[in-house]
Amino acid sequence: MHLDEERIQRLLDGELSPAAAREAREHLSGCADCRRLLAEAEREEREVNALLEMIDQPIPPIRAEAVALRAELMGAASRAQHASLLRRAAAFVLVAGIAGAAYAIPGSPLPKWVHSITEKMAGRPERNTVSADSRTTGVSGISVEADQRLVILFSGDSLGGQVRVTLSEGSQVQIQAPPGAATFTSKSEYLLIGVKDPAASFDVRIPRSAPWVEIRAGEDRLFLKEGLRISTSGSGSAGSYFMPLTSPGTPSQRP
Amino acid sequence: MGPERAPTFHDQFVELFEAHFQRLYRYLSRLSGDPELAADVAQDAFAKLYGRGSLPDAPEAWLITVALNLFRNAASTRTRRLRLLTPARGEAVLADPPSSPDAVIEAEDTRRQVRQALDRMPERERNMLLLRAEGYSYRDIAHALHVNETSVGVLLARARRAFREIYGGSTDAS
Repeated sequence: MHLDEERIQRLLDGELSPAAAREAREHLSGCADCRRLLAEAEREEREVNALLEMIDQPIPPIRAEAVALRAELMGAASRAQHASLLRRAAAFVLVAGIAGAAYAIPGSPLPKWVHSITEKMAGRPERNTVSADSRTTGVSGISVEADQRLVILFSGDSLGGQVRVTLSEGSQVQIQAPPGAATFTSKSEYLLIGVKDPAASFDVRIPRSAPWVEIRAGEDRLFLKEGLRISTSGSGSAGSYFMPLTSPGTPSQRP
Repeated sequence: MGPERAPTFHDQFVELFEAHFQRLYRYLSRLSGDPELAADVAQDAFAKLYGRGSLPDAPEAWLITVALNLFRNAASTRTRRLRLLTPARGEAVLADPPSSPDAVIEAEDTRRQVRQALDRMPERERNMLLLRAEGYSYRDIAHALHVNETSVGVLLARARRAFREIYGGSTDAS
């Protein structure tokens, strides 16, 4: 009995059991018709695959870690009731605008107050997060507890500014940028900075006591504080470091 | 030195991602003709898997099923999608100076005809052809497309024939 289409295709794709494959090959050795059908199927498959490859695009450079972060944000979005992420972001900016004037004053009660409002609107954040965006102070920023592992991820279509990191005596990581230069999202161990102004420079203050803080721009690690050990792709020393922000995969514009 | 720690879910996820992201992306890109959408949907499918907190029984079939559902919903929700990483746009095709204008035009024609042939195929056959081209197992294909595993071979042969007939028809016509 000849090989049917199912068995020929399975033989081609390695989907026959070892015994069935052996049996099929035995048949093929004595049957020119089935050999011809198999050869034809093989040739057609090669042709089709070659045609399909013509429409392929380069594989995007996406890392598992970035997708895990996406999952964290998707989880946060689905937990927020009655509000889409966009609406939350709008409310955040509104509150942050009110509080912005007092943001830079040490010991101000306003950050706590902002925190309690954003907590009500956005569901319970896992970290104590304060954000401000004000044209009166000339900066926008975010402040995040740094008692655990923290990844600060810069992302944007085009990055061209720079990051200045200074070690501080406080307990929170603070990030400042010109107003409107970026959006800030904090979730679990990630702090995502969506860069809107490609030329913007960011000021990052990291507590000397922070156990583990990493700064990344897309794929590239710019800075890592691991306990007392600091490593950076930029320049500087003794508690003050500079690093250029460049889009992933492009060479640095500055030393 | 302490004992080697057991792999966490995060480790398992990273391993699965490294092994299968590319082919899920390529499958979706061929399916949709929209690399950006494919990258988003593939990421979202993996993100959903991460959000589960544990691996499903058949992770690859699970990813395909979820990606297909996301893909069907994507058209209406495109503007709401989170864009964390925007992959490089597919402009590489025109990046190199063309050595021969005729060859470039011919290649562009072929790409268009392949695209048209895929778009004209019945949905199930298109999915079969593209999944197999990425090397997915018969079991995963049967699972993801809800077909009987024992007839995947025949269905694949039929899908290949359908593609060749439509593609051949379009090249004859042009």
